[in-house]
Amino acid sequence: MKWITARRRHPLAGYVVVLLALAVFGVGYSLVAPSADRAEAQVMAAQTGADPADDATVDIEEGRDIWVRSCASCHGLNGGGSDNAPDITGAGGAAVDFQVSTGRMPSSNPDAQMPRKEPAWDREEIDNLIAYYEQEIGQGAGPAVPEAAPGDKPERSDFEDEESYEAAKEEYDEAYDAYVEGASDTQAGMQLYLANCAHCHSWSGAGGGLTGGHWAPEIHDATPRQIYEAMLTGPGQMPVFTDGAIEPEDKQELISYVKTLQAEPNAGGIFDLNRVGQVAEGFVAWTVGLTLIIACAIWITAKQRAHD
Amino acid sequence: MSTTTQAPKALRGVGNWIDDRFHLAKTGEKNLRKVFPNHWSFMLGEIALYSFIILLVTGVFLTLWFNPSMAHTTYDGSYERLQGVEMSEAYASTLRIDFDVRGGFLVRQIHHWAALIFVASLVVHMLRVFFTGAFRKPREINWLIGVAIFTLAMVEGLFGYSLPDDLPSGMGVRILQGVMLALPVVGTYVSMFLFGGEFPGEDIIPRLYMLHILLIPGILLALIVAHFMILWHQKHTQYPGTGRTNKKVVGTPMFPGFAIKAGGFFFFVFAVIVALSAFVQVNPIHLFGPFTPTSITSGLQPDWYMGFMEGSLRIFPNWLDFQVFGYAVPIAVLVPGLVIPGLIFGGLAAWPFIEQWITGDKRAHNVADRPRNAPVRTGVGVAGVVFYGILWLAGANDILSHTFSVSLYWTTYFFRVAAIVGPFLGFIIAKRICLGLQRRDRETLEHGYESGTIQQLPSGEFIEVHKESSQDTVHVLESKAEVDRIDDEMIASVEEPESDGVEAPAARGLKGKLRAGLAHWFTKDNVSFEGVEAHTGHHLHHGAGHSEHDEEMAGSH
Amino acid sequence: MTDKTNSNDNGASDGSADRVIGTPSPAEGEAIVAGSEDPGAEHPGAYPAEETHTHSEEEQRRAEKTAAVWFLIAFLAGIGFFVAYFAFPPNAEGEPAIADPQIGQYSNMALGGTLALALFGIGAGMTVWARRIMPHYEVSSPYDDLPSAPEEKGSFGDFFMRSADESGFTKRPLLRRTLLLSMVPLGLAPIVLLRDTGPLPGDKLKHTLWEDGMHMVVEGTDKKIREEDLAEDGAMISAFPLVEEHGEGEGHGPALSLNDQAKTVVLLIKIPEGDFKPGMTEQQMNWTHNGIVAYSKICTHVGCPAALYERGSHRILCPCHQSTFDAADGAKVVFGPAHRPLPQLPIGVDDEGYLIAKGDFSSAVGPTFWDAEKGD
Repeated sequence: MKWITARRRHPLAGYVVVLLALAVFGVGYSLVAPSADRAEAQVMAAQTGADPADDATVDIEEGRDIWVRSCASCHGLNGGGSDNAPDITGAGGAAVDFQVSTGRMPSSNPDAQMPRKEPAWDREEIDNLIAYYEQEIGQGAGPAVPEAAPGDKPERSDFEDEESYEAAKEEYDEAYDAYVEGASDTQAGMQLYLANCAHCHSWSGAGGGLTGGHWAPEIHDATPRQIYEAMLTGPGQMPVFTDGAIEPEDKQELISYVKTLQAEPNAGGIFDLNRVGQVAEGFVAWTVGLTLIIACAIWITAKQRAHD
Repeated sequence: MSTTTQAPKALRGVGNWIDDRFHLAKTGEKNLRKVFPNHWSFMLGEIALYSFIILLVTGVFLTLWFNPSMAHTTYDGSYERLQGVEMSEAYASTLRIDFDVRGGFLVRQIHHWAALIFVASLVVHMLRVFFTGAFRKPREINWLIGVAIFTLAMVEGLFGYSLPDDLPSGMGVRILQGVMLALPVVGTYVSMFLFGGEFPGEDIIPRLYMLHILLIPGILLALIVAHFMILWHQKHTQYPGTGRTNKKVVGTPMFPGFAIKAGGFFFFVFAVIVALSAFVQVNPIHLFGPFTPTSITSGLQPDWYMGFMEGSLRIFPNWLDFQVFGYAVPIAVLVPGLVIPGLIFGGLAAWPFIEQWITGDKRAHNVADRPRNAPVRTGVGVAGVVFYGILWLAGANDILSHTFSVSLYWTTYFFRVAAIVGPFLGFIIAKRICLGLQRRDRETLEHGYESGTIQQLPSGEFIEVHKESSQDTVHVLESKAEVDRIDDEMIASVEEPESDGVEAPAARGLKGKLRAGLAHWFTKDNVSFEGVEAHTGHHLHHGAGHSEHDEEMAGSH
Repeated sequence: MTDKTNSNDNGASDGSADRVIGTPSPAEGEAIVAGSEDPGAEHPGAYPAEETHTHSEEEQRRAEKTAAVWFLIAFLAGIGFFVAYFAFPPNAEGEPAIADPQIGQYSNMALGGTLALALFGIGAGMTVWARRIMPHYEVSSPYDDLPSAPEEKGSFGDFFMRSADESGFTKRPLLRRTLLLSMVPLGLAPIVLLRDTGPLPGDKLKHTLWEDGMHMVVEGTDKKIREEDLAEDGAMISAFPLVEEHGEGEGHGPALSLNDQAKTVVLLIKIPEGDFKPGMTEQQMNWTHNGIVAYSKICTHVGCPAALYERGSHRILCPCHQSTFDAADGAKVVFGPAHRPLPQLPIGVDDEGYLIAKGDFSSAVGPTFWDAEKGD
């Protein structure tokens, strides 16, 4: 202990203690926090050699290739599931599209909840996979992909030249606006969202914690089609909202409500504190507000030296 | 400098006119001469005063448009996204303030930020007063007024938060009603009377509005005025230092020094609050949507000052709930909702009297304690801060769980343990630090401070030169009051004559024994400065031949 | 952690900046001999500020310029506030100005930014003024002696008691006691007057609108719910009872009042048949229909909507205080501060396949109150 005694009065000792404490907290946190799945998500965003998607025909053979290579090892060749993956014969094309297009599948860790990440395949390949699934595995069971809701934005890398990309993008934007603005009953959309969704995904769509280390993800990046599919299929801990309970046009109202809310600029200022709400506001009041005011108080009352 | 400008004629005229009627010249001068000690921590209370003024002004502005009615309406105002939505008049009129009144959004945000800063500054002001012992005689009454202001400010904030009738605000009222219902026997009656029927009814917002804009601010204003008048009359406490004694206050006179500084500070407080309101969105009720009793959002929180109650409601387990003859007594609501806040505020209010009873110190104190010189009080204060802080954090456990990817239930278990263990740890650590600082103080007083200059003695030994501390430092260090260590011997010798107004604790009876024990606990570890004289140990560290040189160096500063 | 007062600066005592007027210089001794203000003196006069350090004239002139710059900035920002106010026109029909959130944001930041700058400029200018132009000195003044001198106290006490005797209040108990008695009813009157703030609870909190045969509708769309709408495992929906639309002239608004919404709202959940726990009583199982179970959405802790249903674990979590109920086990509390299970609504299906209630909730809805667990 002599070593410490000798140095603890050093002018820098205080900073060293603070740094050490931070390091201890950091390491402790990394041990407590669940595996690095979320960090992995970024790494997993491995790019695929994308082919231009101008070919609209579906290539079932390629779908089978993907299935055999990347899905069958867990879900089985027939989709019947295994010890570490569920039976997905009745899941439906919507479930496949949701899981694969949000990058949650293929998963590297079947025990953990998968975060959203870049999909492993491009749109065309996913379509091929779905076609194969619907023809060979699901055979019509389960909900189909809700084509009416706009899906992924076109990616520049999927197109050969700027022009065709611009055209596809324009087409997409039009479809998107038509879908979101086609909803007119804010009351219904809002009430559906606040009564059935906000308790997990939060009023702003920012997500929230669940029990057992699960969480409800942020839905800002989700396309209208993915939100629709999530409601239809109930991925993970999420319950199912069938087209009978919430009809397609009401689902459109709901999606429109949350997407419009998300897109709205913050009338109260450029800093929206991630729309977390009161916890962030209190934090800012203490750390920014009170600190600045006290700094002013110190300026006013600071001792003056003769040369001041 | 010696010539004084004549007062302008107009000013003299007004002054004479007033003095003809009130005979104020002498009183006026006395007040202009009033002395205020200088220290930034003495400005914390002013933050609260100024933000309260801002709250009054902006609040009046908001009432010009706000309509405290729960009548049902379908919105068809200017804010397009919510057109056609069912809501109450209160919510619709708040949208009007936000989107039809120019500057209305800004003023509403100023009102909200000022409220957050108001309560925060009350807390830091109160902590300053607590840790420096500024609540001691003769200022106990002002401490009590302060505790009342703090309590009312919280209630005032909660009610204000509830007025716009947006989603989170309505939930705050719902939780309030849930706590009320839990009261044994009378709960349902209290709730029915307050809400004019079942929840939510149509009466609660008009009633809260009256409380929020009339009754509670009226009481707050009266209490703040009383707080300030008492301060004015008793004069401010001061930190120890040269010439600062219990008999004499040293500082800047009211006019001009203090008046200009305090005036400038008002503008600073206002500027920071307005800057926050301009750029940082707060409580965006137009995004939350209107209240319905059936909808909820994740991450639902009250404003920060209610966070500790939210936290105690979250972490208190249901193991102690019981029934009497089939009637429910939900301890898990009653204790966190009523008993814990009662303990916190009751404890705050009682502390000056408890400490006085334990130490038997009935003297008047105008020089503030340095926190280290009252280690047990500081420890108790830190324990309280830790307890409050743990509950406060627990009120955000869902956000913490989500943000840091920690399991939700584990945060609850952690906070349950921490709320019990944390205060004890905080007490022990804070007290140890205080005692360590006391020892360092004693050393500095005896030997001067470590100059950082190393010298080699003829014997080859290296020593660090100690220099004499400044006069002011010596005065500060010597301010530590000699504390009689109260131990068994002293307790055994009953009925000692009083000295210095400190009574000897009577050891008779259970109460006396308790008091003696507490007094022992309060004083046993104090580092004694008895017999320590400034710089007497000076020569112990190096030869006499150097001291002259050192003093020369010290003097040249 | 450094203590400001513990400064290792020996210079403070000879720098006149911190010198206390009325105190001798440190060399002469420590004690203050006399304050400059003699409380007995009639006209103590101004503090002798000129005795202390003042700023040099040149320094003051420089500071004056700095302060003036701040005040000018504040003035310009103040003008800017008016410009910002009138730059944004009021909303016109079909053409929202500040009601457009983006424009509103600009307006808010322009108004707030200019106002904040104006305020800060004044504050900064005043601080420069106070610190660099005004002489800095400290003075001392005595605290009041506490308590009052014994003769003052004695004189006051004598006067008070003599006058009290004179008034008769102390000597005439009948007068005193009847006066106090007369105050009692008046003191209680305000409490009585509060009686009409609300009705008596009675058994209002124990019953809801639900009754046998009532249909259910989706909250928000009022669509009547059929059994097959919840056919899929893990399906969930928030629902109200279907009540007759009110007729003409009864005002607008939803068919259900907020009070009724708060009591009748249910969470309909479809649980896979095999997942129900053996802890469910036979009666509770009878209240379900083909795996569809209905629980009150209002938490029994303090009344937030406990709506967060996890289909995998069958937990229903209340986002307010994290009370957790097991939907597959009669909504028993499995974690958190709530004590009572969520009340269950008995449900069935009518001839046309629509879900119906088969009675009221199994127990009182909402936060637990004194007689919540008592029968009627």
